[in-house]
Amino acid sequence: MRRTTGALVLSAALTLGVAACGGSDDGGGNSGDDPIVVGISLPLTGDFSEPGKGVQEGYEAWAKITNDKGGLLGGRKIELKILDDQSNADRVVADYEQLIGSDQVDLVVGPFSTRLVVPSARVAQEYGMLFVEPAGAAAEVFNQGFKNLFYAAPAVADDHYNHLAEHLLALPEGEKPKTVAYAAMDDPFAQGTAYGLKKKLEAGGVRTVVDEVYPPNTTDFGSIAAKIAAAKPDMVVGGSQYQDGVNLIVALQQLNYQPRLAAFSTAPTNPEFAKAIGNKTEGILSPTGYSQDAPYPSNKEFVEKFTAQFGKAPEEDQANGYTTGQVVAAAVEAAGCAEQGECQQKMIDWLHSNSVDTVVGPLRWDATGKPQGAHMIQQWIGNDIKIVLPADAKEADLLYPKPAW
Amino acid sequence: MPSGALLFQSIILGLLLGGMYALLAAGLTLYFGIMRVVMIAHSAFLILAAYLAWWTNDRLGVDPLLSLVVTVPLFFGAGVLLQRGLLSRLRPATLTMMSVLITFAIALMIEGLLGYAFTGTQRRIRLGYGTASFELFGARVAVVKLIAFGLAAVSLAALYVLMKRTQFGWALRATIQHRDAARLVGIDTERTAGFGFGLGLATAAVGGTALSLDTTIYPSLHWHWIGPLMAIIVVGGLGSVPGAAAAALLLGLAQSLLQIPMGATWAQTVFYVALFATLAVRPQGFFGGRLAQRF
Repeated sequence: MRRTTGALVLSAALTLGVAACGGSDDGGGNSGDDPIVVGISLPLTGDFSEPGKGVQEGYEAWAKITNDKGGLLGGRKIELKILDDQSNADRVVADYEQLIGSDQVDLVVGPFSTRLVVPSARVAQEYGMLFVEPAGAAAEVFNQGFKNLFYAAPAVADDHYNHLAEHLLALPEGEKPKTVAYAAMDDPFAQGTAYGLKKKLEAGGVRTVVDEVYPPNTTDFGSIAAKIAAAKPDMVVGGSQYQDGVNLIVALQQLNYQPRLAAFSTAPTNPEFAKAIGNKTEGILSPTGYSQDAPYPSNKEFVEKFTAQFGKAPEEDQANGYTTGQVVAAAVEAAGCAEQGECQQKMIDWLHSNSVDTVVGPLRWDATGKPQGAHMIQQWIGNDIKIVLPADAKEADLLYPKPAW
Repeated sequence: MPSGALLFQSIILGLLLGGMYALLAAGLTLYFGIMRVVMIAHSAFLILAAYLAWWTNDRLGVDPLLSLVVTVPLFFGAGVLLQRGLLSRLRPATLTMMSVLITFAIALMIEGLLGYAFTGTQRRIRLGYGTASFELFGARVAVVKLIAFGLAAVSLAALYVLMKRTQFGWALRATIQHRDAARLVGIDTERTAGFGFGLGLATAAVGGTALSLDTTIYPSLHWHWIGPLMAIIVVGGLGSVPGAAAAALLLGLAQSLLQIPMGATWAQTVFYVALFATLAVRPQGFFGGRLAQRF
């Protein structure tokens, strides 16, 4: 509580300072080879600083790769203008007001996390700006009535597990899991992933035996694990972020509960996961919006050039930033322009009726900006995480039942 | 109705958790007893110790428990310095309030430094025996949780013996009970208070290391701990180490058992309900702790 207040006071002070300094540089010209300025606010410090920095790298890679190929609209370079919102929802609003209103950037793209995407999309809507965002996957992003928002990823939280649900429900009666335990963090994204799968499996006749929700500050998972282990379900599903997913998996292993299938969102695809769990990862499933090995045409170029630029391979956050850039670039090229005003509506209309090829596959959206796809399902097989579903992207067969952990 | 096996398993888990809470809260109650200091930074020091244990394991490849050899004396020294250099300089009239502000700042500094040194990435020590467990009358007992419980038991027993059987312990208890009287009988209360504070921080080194064995750590984790720990020391009676231990075991057990019918969110509120009930009914705490009466 105190920390929040402190942060508020600080950011209010900073916002005032920034507003006072905001000059009136009138860069409204759109002719010739002026750079296309893209305004972004990102949580580079505070709660979301890790993923925020990841998304920043994605945007930077997009700008560099695009500029190296000659830019957009026949020679206009991309210039990023990035502000730090300190993971603060008030600050992010001030940032976008500044970027659009006083800095007069040509385009804006979204920050990280649902909590920051919703208020910033509202600002963009007021100014009639196209708003493509890399990280607002919860249902509340799409029921606000935004007409200018597009989520640049394959699927919203509820649809992450669609391929797995389809696969399990198509199994012959004897092999299908009969009972499932769900444990989800009290967070719109984490809960959304688990409950999307729960809804589909329940509709297919798979019984729910445990349904636990825990607050984000939970550190002890012994009791939740005990409840799950006592119910002995065929399958366990975790609607998790990172630390809770890892702690819950270890707590279940400590109780020697052996499910036939274990699926957790977010945690297993994190590069730290194997470091944390060691050799007990075999068979754990996770939905993922991005894989370095996915066979989509622009992905190979992205992985190579990103690795050259940053000295490491891109993860999901970086890919989300890059995908956002790809979507915006496609809209710019199709509309033949990139500036505030009528051009923004042209780009919005085009994205509503077209699909864009990206590093996470072809994307298209419904009227609310919700992507019409599903995540790939990955599984830990032989100390590596491999795509197992859907069939057209898979690198290995799904291990089911999974080996004991 | 939960099965007997689940109840028994939850009791085991609750006791192990309670033991851990007792260790983590011991230092907090000591500081308050010795000099009415509300030490908000205690849980930040726990996380610092957890990070040092993780770092020891990650860099040197040795068991994280070995880090105690360095962190216990280091934290003891830091505690003495902190007390002598900062807290003893506060005016007695505003000591309790100012100590909250100063230690709040220290907590923020530790969090910031941890983030700077180790980034915000969440870490976990990977132990060969991290997921090992054995069966006890149908319940599973995780080895790491038992080690943490053992560390808590040994440290608290040592603290108890130190307080009851050594001259330093007597001096410390005299300082806690009545500082002026203690000074009159020739106790150097300033020095004793410094060592007492160091002792409290040394328990944080042990507690943080125990914590690191079985949890994922990140720089801001300490905010999740300070609330429950404060509740424990108030329920236990401010300043009473055995009181804090009893309250910790009871609340750990209650949390674990309440989780069966109520779920994790409501089970956590047991700390705040207990805190409220204590302040309303018996502000000096339910287990020992005559101290708070003087406020």
